[in-house]
Amino acid sequence: MANEHSQIEGQVKRSSFRQFEFVAGLMLCGTIGMLALISPLLFPDGGQSVNLLARLMPPLQSSEYPLGADPLGRDILTRIIVGGRVSFTVGILSALGAVTLGTVIGLFAGYYRGFADALLMRFADIQLALPFILLAITIIAIFGPGLDRIIILMIVSQWVQYARLVRGSVLSLREREFVQAARSYGLANSKIIFRHILPNALGPLIILMTLNVANNILLESSLTFLGLGVDPRVASWGGMLAEGRNYAQSAWWVTVFPGLAIMMTVLGLNMLGDWLRDNLDPLGRTRL
Amino acid sequence: MKFELHSLKTAHQIAFKAAVVSGLALATALPMTSLAQADVLKVAQGRDPQNLDPIDTFTLSWGSFGSNIFDGLVTRDEQIKLSPGLATSWEFLEEGKRIRFSLRKGVKFHNGEPFNADAVKFTFDRLLGEEGKAGPQRANYTSIGSVEVIDAHTVDFHMAKPDPVIITKLSGYGAMIVPPKYMAEVGPEAFDKKPVGTGPFKVASYTPGVDLKLERFDDYWNGTAKMEGVQVRFIAEPSTRMAEIMSGGIDISLNIPTTSIDALKQNDNVELHAVDGPRVNIFRLNPAKFITKDIRVRKAINMAIDKKMIVQALLSGYGTPINSAQGSKSFGFNPDLETYEYNPEKARQLLKEAGIKPGTEIALDYRSNRDLDREVGTVVASYLQAVGLNLKLRPHEASIYSSEIIYKGNTGEMFAFGWGGWTFDFDNTAYLLYHTGERFNPYIKDEKLDALLEAQRQTYDTEKRREGLQAVAKYAHEQAFEVPLFNIAALYAVGKHVEGFVAAPDDRLRFMNVSVKR
Repeated sequence: MANEHSQIEGQVKRSSFRQFEFVAGLMLCGTIGMLALISPLLFPDGGQSVNLLARLMPPLQSSEYPLGADPLGRDILTRIIVGGRVSFTVGILSALGAVTLGTVIGLFAGYYRGFADALLMRFADIQLALPFILLAITIIAIFGPGLDRIIILMIVSQWVQYARLVRGSVLSLREREFVQAARSYGLANSKIIFRHILPNALGPLIILMTLNVANNILLESSLTFLGLGVDPRVASWGGMLAEGRNYAQSAWWVTVFPGLAIMMTVLGLNMLGDWLRDNLDPLGRTRL
Repeated sequence: MKFELHSLKTAHQIAFKAAVVSGLALATALPMTSLAQADVLKVAQGRDPQNLDPIDTFTLSWGSFGSNIFDGLVTRDEQIKLSPGLATSWEFLEEGKRIRFSLRKGVKFHNGEPFNADAVKFTFDRLLGEEGKAGPQRANYTSIGSVEVIDAHTVDFHMAKPDPVIITKLSGYGAMIVPPKYMAEVGPEAFDKKPVGTGPFKVASYTPGVDLKLERFDDYWNGTAKMEGVQVRFIAEPSTRMAEIMSGGIDISLNIPTTSIDALKQNDNVELHAVDGPRVNIFRLNPAKFITKDIRVRKAINMAIDKKMIVQALLSGYGTPINSAQGSKSFGFNPDLETYEYNPEKARQLLKEAGIKPGTEIALDYRSNRDLDREVGTVVASYLQAVGLNLKLRPHEASIYSSEIIYKGNTGEMFAFGWGGWTFDFDNTAYLLYHTGERFNPYIKDEKLDALLEAQRQTYDTEKRREGLQAVAKYAHEQAFEVPLFNIAALYAVGKHVEGFVAAPDDRLRFMNVSVKR
C-alpha cells in the first residue's frame, strides 16, 4: 500500500517536472523565435553597422554594446537577435523536414519490407556514401546560393539518419504482441503504423532531432564560409562563432554569447522534445 | 584453498604494480628523451610545400626553410642586401651580355660531393631544360641563355636577353645550387623528398603534411649552426598554430593571421616580430565590365575608403597604407605619388556625375579562407554604403578562386588580390597585374602600359628602371585600376626563450644563428 503510494507520488512529481520542462522549453524557444521574428522591426540595419572605433569592445562598457562588440565593432546583442532569423530557421526547418521525410520512409520500409524496403535502403546507402560538402557544392553550383537551398540540402543529406533509426525500431515493433493484436483486430495498416508503431518509435527520433538542430546551425555557417550560403555579412550564430574563433583567446565575448544562444535554443528544444515524447509515449500516458 | 586464492590475488597485485611502475618509468623516460631534444628548434608554418626540390614549387612555404638547406651563387640577407654566396665575385662583360662568376673554393654538399663549376652548370641546365619546364621556376630565369664552364671555379652566364633583376634572382628559389652526382645517383623523385644542398642544415627526414626534420651540417663553409637540428612542423589550422606557440609547444611560428595579433600581444611567453614585407593587399577593379568601366566610378570607390582607419583597426597598425600595388621596400616605389584622399563627399559627387543611382549593387569576390579579406570587405562595404553603393560579398572556394574566377574573368566589379614578390621589385607584381594577356590580368589591355612595362625590362640602368617602374605605378594610379589597400608587415611569433632570431621581410628565415634557452 505504502509502496504503491510513493510510486504514485513519484509519478506526480515527475509529471510536475515535465510540466515545468514544457513551460521552460516553450518560453526559451518562444522568446528566441519571437525576437528573431520581429528583429527587422527592432534593428532595421540587421546588425551590420560597422564601427571600427568600437572594435572588440568588452561587454558592459557601453549601453550601445551591452554584450560587447565584435572585431568590426558590430553590436553582439543585435547580431545574436538578428542572427536567430537565419540560425533558428535553418536549424529547425531543416531538422523538421528531415525528420518528416525520414520517418515516413522509415515507417514505410520497415513495416512493408520487401522490394520497396530494399530499394529505399539502397537509396539511403547511396546518400550516406556521398560526402556532404561535395553534395553541397554540386547542388549550389546548379541552383545558386540561398537559404532555402541550404535547408533543402540539409534535408536531403539527413533524412537517411532518421529513416534508418525508424526502420530499425519498426522492425522490432511490428513483431510485438500489441501490433499483432491490432492486426488481428483487422485494423487498417495506416492506423497501425501511425497509432501503434510511430508513438513507440518516437523517443530516439526526438533526441536525434534536437542534436541535429544544433549541428545544422553550425553547418549553415560553414556553408556560408565556403561561399555557398547567404552574404557573409548577414548575422548568424554559427557565423559569429566561426568569425570569432581567431579572437577566442583575446576576446571571449565574441564567441561565448552566440554559443550561449545556440545552447539555449537546443536546451529549449530538448525540453520540448522530452515533454512531447512523454505525452506521445503510450506507456507514459497509461501510467497516470 | 583460501590461501591459494590469496596468493593468486597477490600475484595479480604484483603484476599490476609492476605494470604501474614500468608505466611510471616510461612516463618519466619520456621527458628525458624530450630533454635530449632540447637542442632542436621547433618552427611551425601553415603550409607544406609538398616537394623540397627548389625548381618544383614556387611558394613561400618552401622559401621559409629553403635557405637553410641550399645556397645560391648570391646571398640575400634579412635586410634584403645582396652579398657573395657560393660565388665570391661577379662582373658584367660585353655590356651585360655575359656575366662571369668566380666560385668559392672548398665548399661541400651534404653528401660530401664538392661544389664546383660543373654543379653550377648542372643546376642551370636542369632549371632551363626539360625538368625545369615542368615546374614554375623556369619562367623567372629564361633571360639566361646558357652557362659555360671556364675552369673548375669560374663560370660564364651567357644572357639571352637583358635581365636587370638577375643577380637578385640568383639569391633564391630556382637558382639554388644542386649536386649533379647525388641527383644522378638517387634520381629526381627521391631528391624531391630528400634533397642535398650546401646549406648549414641537411635534411634528416621529411613526412609530408607532418614535418620536416633538419640536422646540423658540420662542414658548412660559413660557420656552424647553433642548434643541432630544426623541426619544421606543418600546422594548417591557424588557431591550432597559435595555440601551439602560446603554450610553448613550438618556438617560432610563421604565417600569423592578423586576427590573432591581439591575443599574441597579450601573451607573456611570446614576442611578436614585425618587419615591412613584400605583401600587398589590394582590391582590384574591373575596368572592362560593369559600372567600374567608368573611371569616375573607380576613382569614387578609391575615395570612399579610409585605408588608414582599416590598417589601424584591423591590422592593429602592423601595416602601411599604400598608393600603388607595392610597399616602401619595393624597387619602383614612389614616395611622392599622391594617394586618393578619403573623401566620401567627392566620391558621392563623382558617382552622381557618372549617373550611378544610389543603392546600386556591386560585388566583391575573395577567397573564402582569407579571414582578413572578409573583414576588410565588410568594412569596405560599409564605407561604400555611405556613398550609395551596395557591396555584396562573394566568397569562393580557395582552390577555384584563381583558376575559375580570376583567370577566366568571372569576377564582379571588385576582387581581392594579395601579392608579394620575393625579389622586392615592382616589375614582378606590375607585369603580372597590368600586362596584356597575363593570367592574373583578365581585363586590362592597354598599349601604353604594355610599352612602359617592356621598356624597363630592356635596361640594366638602375635609375632608368626605377623611373620606368614609377611611371607604371603612376599610370595605374591615374587609371585607378585598383584600390591599393595596405602593405602588410611580415609577422612572426617567437617564444621569449629564443635568441638570435632575425625577422626576415620575405619569409625566408635563417636558423643558423638562432638558439633556444630552455
